[in-house]
Amino acid sequence: MIGIDLGSRQVKLVEMEQGKVIRREIHDTITFYRQYGRVQAGQLQINLEEAGWGRELVIATGYGKLAVPIAGARQIPEIQAHALGAVFQSGQESFTLIDIGGQDSKVILIRSGKVVDFLTNDRCAASSGRYLENMAVVLNISLEELSSYDQDPAEINATCAIFGETELVARIVEGYSLPQLAAGVNYALYHRLAPLLKRLDSELLVLSGGVALNKALRAILARETGREVLALPDPQYNGAIGCCVFGGM
Amino acid sequence: MGRVGFTTTIPVEVLLAAGKEPVDLNNLFIGSDHPQDMVDQAEEAGYPRTTCGWIKGLYTAALTTELEAVIAVMQGDCSNTQALMETLELQGIKMIPFAFPYDRDPQALRMNLHKLMDQFGVSEARVQKEKQRLDEVRRLCWTWDEMTWKDNQVTGFENHIKLVSTSDFEGDPDRFAGEMERLISQARQRPPATDQVRLAYIGVPPIFTDLYQVLETLGARVVFNEVQRQFSMPYLTNDIVEQYMRYTYPYGAFARLADLEEQIQKRQVQGVIHYTQTFCYRQIEDLIYRQRLKLPFLTLEGDKPGKVDARSRLRLEAFINMLK
Repeated sequence: MIGIDLGSRQVKLVEMEQGKVIRREIHDTITFYRQYGRVQAGQLQINLEEAGWGRELVIATGYGKLAVPIAGARQIPEIQAHALGAVFQSGQESFTLIDIGGQDSKVILIRSGKVVDFLTNDRCAASSGRYLENMAVVLNISLEELSSYDQDPAEINATCAIFGETELVARIVEGYSLPQLAAGVNYALYHRLAPLLKRLDSELLVLSGGVALNKALRAILARETGREVLALPDPQYNGAIGCCVFGGM
Repeated sequence: MGRVGFTTTIPVEVLLAAGKEPVDLNNLFIGSDHPQDMVDQAEEAGYPRTTCGWIKGLYTAALTTELEAVIAVMQGDCSNTQALMETLELQGIKMIPFAFPYDRDPQALRMNLHKLMDQFGVSEARVQKEKQRLDEVRRLCWTWDEMTWKDNQVTGFENHIKLVSTSDFEGDPDRFAGEMERLISQARQRPPATDQVRLAYIGVPPIFTDLYQVLETLGARVVFNEVQRQFSMPYLTNDIVEQYMRYTYPYGAFARLADLEEQIQKRQVQGVIHYTQTFCYRQIEDLIYRQRLKLPFLTLEGDKPGKVDARSRLRLEAFINMLK
């Protein structure tokens, strides 16, 4: 069983056998489409065999699944894939799933293993991995370092992935320290999520998507909401894992 | 016969009584071949990018159509209409303001109606006669609506497009009635739809051109188009003031809620899509509907005319999947 999550920034592939992940790969989306895509009848088609993934049952999800069809693949909605993946990976049945991807974020309310409600962020890339990446570049630190600060934050309001830079530069000029600025960036991300979390609250918050690797965000979430926070073991592959879970159902 | 444009549903009986051809600028804009060009033209004229797409479309529609005058609804629709009216006036277009009183006061509504009648030199008796004639045309639209939710023979899009047209009856109520009769007898021959998911669409009509089609490919059908149905004045009334008093759309969120709750229950709706336009004050009102309507609820936002974008599609897909 192969699950593929065609994300806006990265393509994630997972192969599962008897409930275990036996293989996984992550590719840059543009490079992946360029390398393994062929235009057929005016549409880009992906050749998975060429990418080194055998001819098995393929379940696809993500932004790209309609625009870039994979021959023979079944498609499932992204929110369903993430929910299935999170229930499988966490072993939990009732929680709020926070999926923060490359260009958007989703908050999904799960009860008895099923999606009962969901909200997504505004249309732009605010409160997404892209925002954190851009701010790390401005601060000239790695994403990993950025994600280690959660104390004494500088006040940062803009979470726009582009204009956030202007505000950050203004704070640098005002003399805030690097840890304060980095914590401010992480808090800005939290503030964008807070209204969504308030509406879809649970005792347990589960994090998926690349941003789940951000330690500071996990600490901030736990501190501010008073909820238990769990990051999935394979947060980036969660959607692709969910595809395999669907295929096995 | 002179043509008179307007910015949202108005007492169209007045225009017909005066022998004018009614033109809903919204329908002109969204029904044009290149609605995005009309938005672009308004932006070139100086309309901010951060303003509603409909207002910009209406501006260009009014400027590029031969019209005697434009009636601007200053209260009960959109708070941008005042600036729309003023910028059109600047271009030499004759503007006539009209207002639905927010407090739904019948005296105030009667007064505003009389002001409009005076503008066009028609009597109340003459307007009342037009209303009775339109009652017959509207009755066909109510049948069409019933065939959507009760007989399940009409698609969500067909329901939308005909009901939304009742603001101006496509310029000619008689021709419109003939077309409705033909459509009704054709649809009567169809087998009823077997829906997986029944949806309510609430809020202003969508700027997306393929929303209903997208929903249907995902296995869901809209069986209630709230505002479009309101345009068809779905209540049999004796008097024109009473008719526009019962019309819910201009009187705020709470006036609309009563109608919404009743229809949602009656039509066995499973989920609600609330459409709001980017930059519109109705995005704030979203929280009222979300809180009061006890059903799965998806807020859908549209900015520019065109097809449903990938992100909205993803959200629609997940929402319908959740309801299945």
